[in-house]
Amino acid sequence: METRFALFFFFFFFLLIALLSTPVFSDLVITKVDRKIDLTSHIVRISSSLKVENAGPDVVSQLLLTFPEYQAKKLAYLTASSAEGKGKSKGSSANLPVEVVQPEGVPPALTFYSVSLPRGLGKGESLNLDVFAVLTHSLQPFPEEITQADVQLVLFQDSAHYLSPYEVKAQVLSIKLPSPRVESFTKIQNTKLVDSEIKYGPYENLPAFSYSPIIVHYENNRPFAVATELLREIEISHWGNVQITEHYKLEHGGARTKGGFSRIDYQARPNVRGASSFRRLIVKLPPRAHSVYYRDEIGNVSTSHLWADSRKTELEIEPRYPMFGGWKTFFTVGYGLPLHDYLFESDGKRFLNVSFGSPIAEVVVDNLLVVLPEGSKDISVSVPFSVKQWEEVKYSHLDISGRPVVVLEKKNAVPEHNSHFQVYYKFNSFSMLREPLMLISGFFFLFVSCIIYMHADLSISKSSASYLAKLQWYEVQATVQKLHEIMVRCLTVHDKLEASLRDLSRTGDVQACKAMRKAADSLLKDLSKDLKPLLVFLQSSLQAAQIYQKVEELVVKEKELQEKLMSKHTMVVDAYEKKSAGRELENRIAALQQKLTTLRQEVDDLIDVIDEI
Amino acid sequence: MAQAPKPIASPVPEAWYPSMAALMLVFGLVFTASFFIYEATSSRKNRSIAKELTTGALASVFLGFGSLFLLLATGVYV
Repeated sequence: METRFALFFFFFFFLLIALLSTPVFSDLVITKVDRKIDLTSHIVRISSSLKVENAGPDVVSQLLLTFPEYQAKKLAYLTASSAEGKGKSKGSSANLPVEVVQPEGVPPALTFYSVSLPRGLGKGESLNLDVFAVLTHSLQPFPEEITQADVQLVLFQDSAHYLSPYEVKAQVLSIKLPSPRVESFTKIQNTKLVDSEIKYGPYENLPAFSYSPIIVHYENNRPFAVATELLREIEISHWGNVQITEHYKLEHGGARTKGGFSRIDYQARPNVRGASSFRRLIVKLPPRAHSVYYRDEIGNVSTSHLWADSRKTELEIEPRYPMFGGWKTFFTVGYGLPLHDYLFESDGKRFLNVSFGSPIAEVVVDNLLVVLPEGSKDISVSVPFSVKQWEEVKYSHLDISGRPVVVLEKKNAVPEHNSHFQVYYKFNSFSMLREPLMLISGFFFLFVSCIIYMHADLSISKSSASYLAKLQWYEVQATVQKLHEIMVRCLTVHDKLEASLRDLSRTGDVQACKAMRKAADSLLKDLSKDLKPLLVFLQSSLQAAQIYQKVEELVVKEKELQEKLMSKHTMVVDAYEKKSAGRELENRIAALQQKLTTLRQEVDDLIDVIDEI
Repeated sequence: MAQAPKPIASPVPEAWYPSMAALMLVFGLVFTASFFIYEATSSRKNRSIAKELTTGALASVFLGFGSLFLLLATGVYV
């Protein structure tokens, strides 16, 4: 450890000598720097507010920010914004474009970022600039291995002087720690520790590339939750859902634990005998999230709690065991979101608007999948930072050609990357009917195969006796069915005649009744004509021998019934025409009616018998 | 951007899914039943293929949409 720091000092000593000969970058002068380093979590956040003044004659539109290489490698997020207004009125400050540059004649141990200023700075003009940088994995646990009962101590190193290619007139640095428990910190002039804050400065009139290394060794027991891999899968269904599934590979990134783990000790005094561990994580889900689940390879993990209100949904998850340094866990969190909150249409294109990073506050290496519905075309993505991006195909429920997938990969993502990004694509609304059409065709295929089976003749020997008999039997069946139909129609005609008689007794309209009779006569004649060939066939068929008796009986009975009905009809109509109504006539009609009823009963029974064939 | 982005929602309100599923599946099963009854009762000679196909098509349309809404109602978003 010691030798490493000694090397560092050496290295920077040579660096400074090298830099003394480098050209002056421009005539900018930083008149004031106020740096605040937040070390309260395991993510280091450095916010510096600079006041830049142009001391030279030329207009300057670029500002260089410098980071030593060991910080540049861990840099996850960097923004610069100009605070134009004075005091508290500086509300809307747009982020300025930042890019890596490598000016000539500088050693590779320094990384330069160039900020394009919103306007060129003329002679004597000044500008306020806020620079916000986030570093990950910059807290080095020391000692590197601790036991269950130990607290976790970490080292942080930086420079007490603001490293800049410009002259710095005045500067202060304050380092905020999670607790006042500090093991040691580098003391140089103007250093003091107040509560849980270390203050360096003010220092005045320092030349460009001043570097004064400092090291803070302090206690940090905050959860060092690092997702070594996070796969977020966003699946859009136009039937009303955005399904998000997050697969975590989570690790405690702090000091590794050594010795055994005692569950009894942990259970008895978790704050002392497990100070460096963390037990639960809060997942902040968007409002109206539904169907939330938390599981791993074994199955559902029951130690989770969910709270929801109109503004947010909060899920508290506990891994299956407390997380100590170096321990790993895998789990999956999934939830559904209402479609209309996240999918929009504009200029004929649809776009998804969701946040990028993990809802858990931690460092992550991110791999994000966006699964679009089948039939999406012309996909484009707009992400506010650089990501690796490619396309894949995924097969999900009821897919034929698969769904297009946009994969966005981002290494070293921090909660600051949780901004919204957009995926644009074109989609024809009729493509939504693919899934139902698929289901429909599936069912239709089933019905069609039933029809084919019923129609197909599957017998092998087409000339065998039993086959022929079967064919003939089908013929008989069909004939009997037709016969049945004709009989039923005859009976309906009979019913109509009866109805006409009832009408006659009510209205006395003889003509209508006669017309009815005429129509019925012709209909019955037709039917009996249709009946003849059927009877002939049944008589000739061997198979129908038994049935034929019944059929014949039915036909005879029906004929009798028909005759009786006709004579009754004639009688009644005659009586109406002659206006003669006698007791004798009434008696005759009553006798006829009795016979008709019994006959009708018999015919109905016979029809039922035949129907069963 | 020419027009303000407008949110996209499902063509059928999500709250209707369970009742749509039940209704359409009932209709579908009724048609299926009538199809199979017809298949079983009519004799080979005087079976009408048009009637079979129409009943089958109606049944499959209702069953198809019914099962789609059943999937959606149970949370399997296709």
